[in-house]
Amino acid sequence: MISIKNLSCSFSKKFILKDISLELQSHVTVLGANGSGKSTFAKALCGLNKYEGEIYIAKQNLQNLSLAQRAKTIAYIPTKLEVYDKYITVEEFVLLSRFAYKKSYLDYTQKDRDLVEKNLNFLAITHLKHHTMEALSSGEQQLVLIASALTQQSDVIIFDEPTANLDPLNSKVIAQHIKTLKKQHQIILITHDLHLAHYIDSEVLFVKNSSIEHYKEGIFTDAMLQKLYGVKFTNLVVEYA
Amino acid sequence: MLKFILWALLFGVTLISPFLGAVDLSFHSILSPDSLGHQIFFDIRLPRLVFGFSAGVILALSGLLFQTLFRNALMTPYTLGISSGAVLGAGIAIKLGLGSILFGIATISLFGFGGAIFTVFLLIYLERFLKSSHSESLLLLGIALSLFYTSALMIVFYMGSSIQNDMLIRFTMGSLSVIAWQHPVILAIMALFLLFSLYIYRYELQILATSQTQATLKGLNTKKITLVLLVISSLAIGVLVSISGPIGFVGLVVPHIVTKLYPQTINKRIFKTALLGGLFLVACDTLSRSLNTQSELPIGIITALIGGPFFIYLIISKGQK
Repeated sequence: MISIKNLSCSFSKKFILKDISLELQSHVTVLGANGSGKSTFAKALCGLNKYEGEIYIAKQNLQNLSLAQRAKTIAYIPTKLEVYDKYITVEEFVLLSRFAYKKSYLDYTQKDRDLVEKNLNFLAITHLKHHTMEALSSGEQQLVLIASALTQQSDVIIFDEPTANLDPLNSKVIAQHIKTLKKQHQIILITHDLHLAHYIDSEVLFVKNSSIEHYKEGIFTDAMLQKLYGVKFTNLVVEYA
Repeated sequence: MLKFILWALLFGVTLISPFLGAVDLSFHSILSPDSLGHQIFFDIRLPRLVFGFSAGVILALSGLLFQTLFRNALMTPYTLGISSGAVLGAGIAIKLGLGSILFGIATISLFGFGGAIFTVFLLIYLERFLKSSHSESLLLLGIALSLFYTSALMIVFYMGSSIQNDMLIRFTMGSLSVIAWQHPVILAIMALFLLFSLYIYRYELQILATSQTQATLKGLNTKKITLVLLVISSLAIGVLVSISGPIGFVGLVVPHIVTKLYPQTINKRIFKTALLGGLFLVACDTLSRSLNTQSELPIGIITALIGGPFFIYLIISKGQK
């Protein structure tokens, strides 16, 4: 589905990613140390960062797509979202995901509104509909962001560290939702949460030294993780002592 | 209840506003076509009401627009130096004695618009060199430009004759006094055009008011829409400032009050902001004409006296967060 040819990203004349070529047929989990370039990679995929090389999603060159077409192809869910408009409600916020489908100057249609309702219902957050975005807890916000991505109806959904701010219970809820979404969407999951990565059970990209290694299986063993991260693991948990 | 009292008060003041002023008008004199009272009411007081209301609409909507585009409550055409640019442009036109009409538009208005639009493009150009994407840096740029323009205007003063300077000084104080209907009609059209533009782009504004990244990811070309709306509002501000001189702080105070009264998403606040802006400026103008019947206080001084402390309050309450 996603095909990457000679991708390079640099920041202040320093390469973050250098000459990456990948074929991603299925879901992937992106792992790597802080600052290794995971987010840079994700942002290049959804067009937020400039890059050299070519990215094809469903055989379409990302650079030739308009912003609206791109929004219909790929959705990005940030770890946390700061919204300037303090008083926008959850319902209004999720409805914004229909912007790429909306006719210029006109209102959102009833179909758009029904889809929002359906997705809020799917994520069991219909009761938050009239709450303002600012009043949400981190867990609720992550659910709203997922509802928003679903409403965008894109083939690919990128999760950028979805459980980074969440307690164990909320992490579990989000993890289960991500697993469900695998049926309908191609998921790209960026995370440090190895339990989540293990549970989602997809191919793995490990970002290190501005290159990316592609593992189709067998990454979740203590020996393998120790080799990649350089710290000791027992049952996939880091040893502090 | 508070809302009701506020709106009732402002509507009331607006309704009685054309009856107040240096000359007392009786209903009888207003209604008799040949009297002086009739002339004062229909050629001075009513045009002034329309002009003041339109000016308030433009200032308040521009404030709302700038705050949304840059996601910062302190952004207005005044704090960004765009009004100062228009004042300098109009000031230069006055100094050069360009009172003439060019292609049916007053030269002073063209210079005012030129100053405003030049500042917008200068800000957009300079913004690319800012290391931080934080809107505060842009605000500092605007303040620096403002100070620069003020100094440049001083040079214009320095080189001007005393008659020109008297005109210039009065101009920089801001005034809503107009005679006859030409200026009020032009400004009313500008106000309607700005309102219409904000309305047709209401969902674009709503997306922009979440976050820049969010807007891009949802498929909005943020650069294009920002440029279009900045040019439209600079046109309105440029024309306004070249006729009335600078009237500060309305764009800061009014959107903030509307947000406090109606905590709703931006596109539900567009019409309320326009209406409150119009009524607020007419009320300020009525105040300025009622304080001293000998000669009225320039409106820019009244709004600045209200807005200055309010600006400080906004900065402090923002800092507390």
